[in-house]
Amino acid sequence: MKRSGAGTGIRGQSKKTFWLTTMMLPVTVWLLLIRYLPMVGITMSFLDYRLPTRKMPFPVNLLHSPWVGFKNFSFLFTEESISMIRNTLGYNALWIVLGLLISVTFAILMSELTRKFLAKTYQTMMFFPYFLSWVVVAYFLFAFLDPTNGMIVRAQKAAGGTVIDWYNTPKYWPYILTICSIWKNTGYSTVLYLSAITGIDRSQYEAAAVDGATKWQQMVHVTLPHLKPMIVILLIMNVGKIFNADFGLFWSVPMNSAPLYPVTQVVDTYVYRAYTSTGNVGMSTAAGFLQNLVGFICILTANSIVRKLDADSSLF
Amino acid sequence: MKKMLALLLAAMMLLAVVPAVAEGPVEITMLLEGNNVTDDAAVLELLNPYLTEKIGVTLKPTWGTWGNFDDLAFNAVTTGSDEYDILFTCSWTKNEYAPYAKKGAYVRLDDPEDDLLAAYGQELRSALPDLLFEGAMTEGPDGEKGIYAVPGFKDFATMNTWDVNVTLLEKYGYTLEDVKNAGFYGWGDIFAKVKEGEEKDGSVFYPFIFEGAVAERNVIGTPIVTGDANSLLSYYMNVEDVSTPGAYGNTFVNKYATPEFEKFAKQMRAYYEAGYIDPAIAIGETATDTWRNAQNTANYLISSEVSLYGYEFTTSEARGIQVAYLMTTDAPYIDNTSVQGAMMAVSANSAHPEEAMKFLNLLNTDPYVMTLLNYGVEGIHYNLNDAGEVEFVADARSTYSPWTNGLGNVTLLPPQKGQGADFQQKFAEFYAGSKKLPVYGFTFDIKPVETEVAAVTNVKEAYALSLFTGAVDPETALPELLSKLDAAGMQKIVDEANSQLKAFLGE
Amino acid sequence: MTVLTGRAGHSFRLNQISRRAEVCFHVILGLFALACIIPFIFVIIISFSAEDSIRTIGYSFLPAAWSLDAYRQVLSLGDALWRSYFNSFFITIVGTVVSVTMCVLYAYPLYRKDYKFRSFFSFLSFFTMIFGGGLIPTYIVCKNLLGMSNNYEALIVPMLVSPFNIIIMRTFFQTSVPFDLIEAATIDGSGEYSTLGRIILPIVKPGIATVALLTALGYWNEWFLCLLYVTNRDLYPLQYLLMEMQRNAEFLARNSSMIGAAGAEAIRTLPSQTMRMAVVVFIVLPIACAYPFFQRYVVAGLTIGSVKG
Repeated sequence: MKRSGAGTGIRGQSKKTFWLTTMMLPVTVWLLLIRYLPMVGITMSFLDYRLPTRKMPFPVNLLHSPWVGFKNFSFLFTEESISMIRNTLGYNALWIVLGLLISVTFAILMSELTRKFLAKTYQTMMFFPYFLSWVVVAYFLFAFLDPTNGMIVRAQKAAGGTVIDWYNTPKYWPYILTICSIWKNTGYSTVLYLSAITGIDRSQYEAAAVDGATKWQQMVHVTLPHLKPMIVILLIMNVGKIFNADFGLFWSVPMNSAPLYPVTQVVDTYVYRAYTSTGNVGMSTAAGFLQNLVGFICILTANSIVRKLDADSSLF
Repeated sequence: MKKMLALLLAAMMLLAVVPAVAEGPVEITMLLEGNNVTDDAAVLELLNPYLTEKIGVTLKPTWGTWGNFDDLAFNAVTTGSDEYDILFTCSWTKNEYAPYAKKGAYVRLDDPEDDLLAAYGQELRSALPDLLFEGAMTEGPDGEKGIYAVPGFKDFATMNTWDVNVTLLEKYGYTLEDVKNAGFYGWGDIFAKVKEGEEKDGSVFYPFIFEGAVAERNVIGTPIVTGDANSLLSYYMNVEDVSTPGAYGNTFVNKYATPEFEKFAKQMRAYYEAGYIDPAIAIGETATDTWRNAQNTANYLISSEVSLYGYEFTTSEARGIQVAYLMTTDAPYIDNTSVQGAMMAVSANSAHPEEAMKFLNLLNTDPYVMTLLNYGVEGIHYNLNDAGEVEFVADARSTYSPWTNGLGNVTLLPPQKGQGADFQQKFAEFYAGSKKLPVYGFTFDIKPVETEVAAVTNVKEAYALSLFTGAVDPETALPELLSKLDAAGMQKIVDEANSQLKAFLGE
Repeated sequence: MTVLTGRAGHSFRLNQISRRAEVCFHVILGLFALACIIPFIFVIIISFSAEDSIRTIGYSFLPAAWSLDAYRQVLSLGDALWRSYFNSFFITIVGTVVSVTMCVLYAYPLYRKDYKFRSFFSFLSFFTMIFGGGLIPTYIVCKNLLGMSNNYEALIVPMLVSPFNIIIMRTFFQTSVPFDLIEAATIDGSGEYSTLGRIILPIVKPGIATVALLTALGYWNEWFLCLLYVTNRDLYPLQYLLMEMQRNAEFLARNSSMIGAAGAEAIRTLPSQTMRMAVVVFIVLPIACAYPFFQRYVVAGLTIGSVKG
């Protein structure tokens, strides 16, 4: 390979840009075709969607679909929707904070274990929830809470205490749902933080130890600063999904029990019920678009705050 | 450059599909619902030469299952795909018949300009009862009424029944007559006695396990309003004579706002509180499993069923008890929902509508085609016994069992083992005695009130099943529901439905 | 958190946490890990329960009777089972290799502060994480334009790129590769591809392993693409076999009042609950066995005793 004068000349610059750009190509082509091209579909939010036909295939049919303005959005704004919006935002905000605390703590704890075999075992076990669908989790929970045969219910009966009618009593479900969410997602984010810790140069700890830093001080001054970019990035991305909820968690886990809706109704379940009741694709597209828009605004806000505090950690 | 590429590709999308030049037999593709078919080679090997000879087509079925049909069909109709020439459709799948006929997804079969039914479906037209075509009449994209799919000739009338475990009933000295005479509001004593008796060993027994929505239909006498898949509206029929209107005449009312409904909900609450009703049937995702399990293990006294002719024999044998079905109307009633319960539509994007019609004609009139497609190949999938009844070969059948009602004219089929040689005749006679509802032919089009339906459905879902099963107290829940329904625009839906009905009856 | 301030005074435990703290960590992590695995044990128990036991006493850790029927039923799927196993492996391996390669190639220039179009491409991928065209247009593009129908492409291509993974990968570059390294390599005259391949990649191995793990899990769990684009049973992945059973049961349950007695017959012929749980076991075991392979890179070098790199 020819030495090109330290590669900082103008020719070196453009050569570098060229080669780096070629790296971007495969993903760029994919994004344009599979993500950007279908975005013409966002217009469906504002249309009374007409089915495409052979003479009028997609996306030409969009031009022939009547424009209905914001009508497709209006079902999202009724008296009922206040509680679903509150639930969505409330659960998400709580879970973002809790999830962050727990998974960072777990990653740090795990990195400090001296028995590597056990650390690996824990980590493997923590991934199991990822494989079980919410439906299976719901059956598992039902084995405890089943109003007739449930293990907790039986124990309560045997003890002569009052039997809790779990699936008709909303007040327990915010806790149950929170536990389920943490249970399912912790393994996933812990592994991200753990591998970020793995990337930290060990000599920094040794240097700190030589300077007499305690483990706690090492964590505060070495580990956390190195984890910061990952924490910030995951935080920003989670904030972007603040208006979206895990449908399976809110639908299957409470067994779609009607009396629990005040605490289990979230945007996604509301939209699903509305959508299946009308079959109007414009309405579901509109809901999705609105969720994305809110997420987008939240991300931009969060990102600009981060950029002011620490430009290197920001998303873009 | 990449943007150019994208534009180019987008332009390619706009190009219409180039129709292939037909050489030899035309391949008809067909999407079916509810099948368990993993190997259709033997059937198609016999079927296709026969079809080629008769009408110059070959068949390529896509055996949809309960689990994937909705998505396959919905994707096909909403993307204007020409993948399927013929699609199963009905009143309860995602490619719902009436709304998608109106949106233009299906070919009008009796189009005055291009009457496929007259040209290629004469035999079919005369083989099926007129009233089926009457029920298949629905509005098209032009607002004109027409036939947009071939209705399935099957159990076309609805029988809402109470399913009674007679064996258990008689164990406690009661008879079927006692259950009938006491009626829903007077079953308390029977439940109490049976529950007490069955719980002697310390186990839990629930005598009353049913499907919430069907119980409401049974007690109050309200058929499904076609088009109102979310059960927001009630039409009261006269259960003494279903061909005449009931308490509210020919109008629709808010299902939850009548004194009849309140009385029903209060009674359910009383039964629930007394421990007669399994709480699991009040929980959305466990309701059906619990109810069906109780039936199949004969672990119930009274249950509900939307039944069909001859079903007592099947279930009595399967459950090892004597089962009786108490019909809650004077006769099976014919409504659009049951007539539109299984249909075959020709896709508006099909390149071969004529051939598709020819095939449907043959499927509904030729016993050989129907039997072959439904039961498989004689000697491989089934054998005929001396009585002329079909006996399935379990192994072969496990890789080829289509859903019979989803295919077409079931009266062409030979009887199955135990049904008796004259089954089809009795079947036809039985359903000939059914009566049309006064609003037969009406389909509610929710399009003008979609926003309200979306909001109201979300409100109603939070209460309906609990009220149907007594899991909540109607004293507090019902007023709450009614005021929320009002706020979400329920009245607008009722008014719209009534004005549509008026227009329909005025015709 | 006072336990964390354990003194590093013991010479034989150089810069390690105290015994007491370690025991405490083990209790916390161990209990949580146990909670994670118990539902899976529950699944295994149900898969070995007799179906009658479920009918009578419901789901339970202590079934009334045990049975191997579920496994017999699954194994009786025969070819269909092994073929879908093969499909799952094939899709996961090919998908992961291609996807991770594309991800690394895209994320690397995004990390390069000296790359001119960095913010443009950054936004290009980020934007699609938030906005999408929805199901119908995507379906039309994939199926009609790109021909993804009843082939392996349909099960692999639509999932190749994950903006989330790209951002994660970029963050790994940022946290573990000092920028001086690249400048040094450039001065040495190393080409961009060879810098990435020879110098950078070995350093970000844990990051690549993590992204590969997440991608592989995604492919292994995927069934929705199959529902959308594939009707040919020969291409079904294992996860879809399970979902098909699940969805059949759900659909019949939801529509029972519409289908009526015909639906009751259909329900009776569905695969049993225990069989569905046995399929879950078949799905989880291979990937659980493959997990330690990825883990080698993630946990390796975590403790102070081992050498980094």
